[in-house]
Amino acid sequence: MATLSDILQSEDITSLQHLQLFARTVVEGFTTGLHASPHKGFSVEFRQHRPYVQGDEIRRLDWKIFGRSDRFYIREYDEETNLRATIVLDTSGSMGYRGTGGVLKLDYARKLAASLAYLLMSQQDAVGLITFDTKLRQIIPNRTKISHLHLMLETMIQTKPGGETALAPVIESLGNHLKRRGLVILISDFFDDATALLKAVGVLRHQGQEVVVLQLWDRDELEFPFSRFARFENLENAEDHVALDPATVRNRYLEVLADFRQQITEGLRKHQVDLLQLPTDQSHATALRQYLTLRMR
Amino acid sequence: MSFLTPILLAGAAAFLIPLIIHLLNRRRIIHVQWGAMHLLHEVLKQKKRRTQIEQWLLLLTRIAIPIVLALCLARPVLNALSQLPGFGKSSLIVLLDDSFSMRAPTADGTPASDHARADLSRILASLPRGSDAQIIRIGGTPRPLNTAPSTTLDLLSADLTDIPAVQGPVSLQNSLQSALAAAQKAGNPSKEILILSDFQKSDWSSLLSGASLPVLDALTSKDPDATRPALTLFQLPTQLSENLAITAAELSAQLVATSQPVALKVRIQNHGKRPWQDIPVHLEADGARLRTARISIPPDGEASLYFTHAFDSLGDHALTVRLEGDTFTDDNAFHTIVQVRDQLPVVLLDGAPGSSPLAGALDFFNLALTPHLGASVPSLRDLILTRTIDPKRLKESDLAGARVVILGGLERSNGSLFPILRKFVENGGGLLILPAENADPLKWRSDLGKEGLFLPAKVTGQTHIENIDFPARLQTTRFTHPALLYFNDPRSGRLPDGEFQHWWKLEPQGDDARTIASLDRGVPLLIERPLGRGLVIQSAIPLKPGWSNLPLQPWFVPLAQRLTAWLATQDTESSAHLIGTTPSLSLTSSQSTQPFTLTDPLGQSSELKPESATLTLPALTQPGLYQIQPTDAAPSDPKSIRRIAANLDPAESNLTPLAPTELTDLATRLGAQTANDFDTYQRLDRSRRLGIEVWQPLLLALLALLFFEVLLQQHITSPKRR
Repeated sequence: MATLSDILQSEDITSLQHLQLFARTVVEGFTTGLHASPHKGFSVEFRQHRPYVQGDEIRRLDWKIFGRSDRFYIREYDEETNLRATIVLDTSGSMGYRGTGGVLKLDYARKLAASLAYLLMSQQDAVGLITFDTKLRQIIPNRTKISHLHLMLETMIQTKPGGETALAPVIESLGNHLKRRGLVILISDFFDDATALLKAVGVLRHQGQEVVVLQLWDRDELEFPFSRFARFENLENAEDHVALDPATVRNRYLEVLADFRQQITEGLRKHQVDLLQLPTDQSHATALRQYLTLRMR
Repeated sequence: MSFLTPILLAGAAAFLIPLIIHLLNRRRIIHVQWGAMHLLHEVLKQKKRRTQIEQWLLLLTRIAIPIVLALCLARPVLNALSQLPGFGKSSLIVLLDDSFSMRAPTADGTPASDHARADLSRILASLPRGSDAQIIRIGGTPRPLNTAPSTTLDLLSADLTDIPAVQGPVSLQNSLQSALAAAQKAGNPSKEILILSDFQKSDWSSLLSGASLPVLDALTSKDPDATRPALTLFQLPTQLSENLAITAAELSAQLVATSQPVALKVRIQNHGKRPWQDIPVHLEADGARLRTARISIPPDGEASLYFTHAFDSLGDHALTVRLEGDTFTDDNAFHTIVQVRDQLPVVLLDGAPGSSPLAGALDFFNLALTPHLGASVPSLRDLILTRTIDPKRLKESDLAGARVVILGGLERSNGSLFPILRKFVENGGGLLILPAENADPLKWRSDLGKEGLFLPAKVTGQTHIENIDFPARLQTTRFTHPALLYFNDPRSGRLPDGEFQHWWKLEPQGDDARTIASLDRGVPLLIERPLGRGLVIQSAIPLKPGWSNLPLQPWFVPLAQRLTAWLATQDTESSAHLIGTTPSLSLTSSQSTQPFTLTDPLGQSSELKPESATLTLPALTQPGLYQIQPTDAAPSDPKSIRRIAANLDPAESNLTPLAPTELTDLATRLGAQTANDFDTYQRLDRSRRLGIEVWQPLLLALLALLFFEVLLQQHITSPKRR
């Protein structure tokens, strides 16, 4: 059975436990009501009365009103549920990039996902995991049991980077698997056509999902520090490669990168989707802190 | 395109250096497994083609730099541009054969020289604008028509009309040397030497048979640094191979007096393959035909005949020998001037006169010079009038009027003798010195001291052969000295019969002294040396018994007379000239102020004015007799008339040209091309004119490439560029 220590190093776990304490404070202090369910049901929090219609459950009749007015009214309550958070983890080939800093992006993503899962479960939220590359690979439904975490961790460990990414259709197809509204935490490098991506995220939002995007960047991808003539081979497609003198295209690359990031940022903002751009040389604690800070707003 | 220094083209291989660096860089390429390919694709979508072009452009620029540098150093010459207007300037050096053989007719009957001029005019007119040309006439001594390359080609064409074909044989070495010198001065990189000639076999056969000329090394040099001009052999084919020519007419005597019969030996050459029978040969004296003889000549053979004639008056007389028969008449006559003189005064300075007949030192010599003394028959009159004087009493006035002095038997000189003799020689006299029988040679030399320095020989001792059975004899190899040519004919006497037992040892003294006769022991017998206008001959023997039997030989008389005549005629101006030369006559002080009238063989007169004491005649362009007379003298006054004879060089009479195959072989040897008409030449010319040298534009291109490379490099790596 996989444990957290299979993914996270001991100091990360220690850090995570600190985070957990921090998160509990944050969540208890700030997130009450943030996850209020739009679903009505049995709960302690009364919402409204409505006339009885045929088919309503007899037990939901408000007998007191019937006693006073001889009419059948049904009591409706807001359902108070735990957050249904689904971590969607990109395992495509591009996540297999190991930069000059030595960090594999997928490793970083796994640790981030594990940390988030642990954090969310610690808050009694129902956490699920979906991995994908060209299509959805593993789908672990949302559960609140802590034993469920192990299943997710094991899945993450067994995940290998590979295959092409086709983010936009996969994100669009998420709606078919997320029957209930909840929080979708998308951990990916988001390396796809920005327009298609934003459109897909829009579809997800339209389905009522709350979406948070954690976009991972290797420092190399942000700064393009190569100086010698290099052949860049696509991690997702062995046949796709370009040979060039990095010095001659660096400036142009940085411009294209800035445009891409700006396009993603602005597009997600329009869809009211939170975005965190996380360099992989940043510690997970810092990344989670940024996430939690984001959630506090 | 051709290159003047093609070996430096090897430097172009340096283009491999940037290419290898480029390829090595490619081989050392790092591989990056990259995720954000869509970003790179986006970058390259706009820039890939441009970046590739820039990279290739940079590589090509770097490759081009060493190539262009090597091309520049190799000094390329562009052929293609030569056909464009304003391009292809060239320097043409024309060696125009103006030798007499160019008068031979071509297929249409006009002389080859006319064809040469016409073709050359067309060639000059067809040269690209800005070209220059220099024409060198190569008959006889090479003479440039224009001293510097001329770009006014039309004027140069006009000058061609004044070039008569009268010169002697072509001197290949001198002509080609002149052409190379002119080519080095020529201003254009494209240079061509064009030889316009009939290519007479006699001129070129030695070269064709493999003879070497120093100038050929430079002309056919394979040295890439040498700017070798292109060479074209333009043959003007003559149609005449049969030709008879009088090659010489030699007088039997150097001295001719009135009423003295003189023999004229005429040599006639048949330059052809057919025999000639009974050709009439006429002798003309002073314009009047005297007699006719007939002669037969075998193919490619020579025949001689003799005419005898006696002149009845003093002065310059003309003798002309003329033959009839062949169509090429220019060389069918030979002219010579005979100077008929009165008796030749000779002074004999006898230092040891004898009391009995033939006992004196110069008695034998006197006898040989005046064999007919006392004869009453006019035809046997001696030509030489001798007078004997004691050398110890000689005064300068004693030599007035004398032409030759013979000194013999002088054991010891008095102080004034040799200065007088020296002055006599310097003024044009001839001096023959024979040793004294009893003199000690070393003492004789020491007595003479510095006064003897003008003599031809230094006396170093004497030699005596004890065994009279093995005397020394004359070295009878073929004589080259004019006074001794007569003895090359065996009929002139048996020279080996002369025996010599005793002689003074002579060493030539001075650079201009030369031995004219030697003994078979390798010692000089006669040495001559010019001095001033005269000549001195020094003998190793006196004419005494015990020394030699020379005075007893039948050929001693002609020997003594010819030596004396040779000495007497040193101061006489030659009256025989080759066509094409410009003779000059020396004048007396009274003559030097008056004008002269020159009458040429065609009877045309022109007036000449002397410069100081010399009258320079214009170049002789017609074979025949020229007459020079003071303008104000009576035409009938024979004493005032001076005549000169102009003859063609006999070598030019052999008209046989090189056969086409021989010309091709010659061209192969010289690395030349051949043409025989203007059209052929034009085709040759178009196919190989060198064009223009383009290293200057290449150098500019190189600088531009260097700048471009730096700018491109900066542009590619510039952080601001988009």
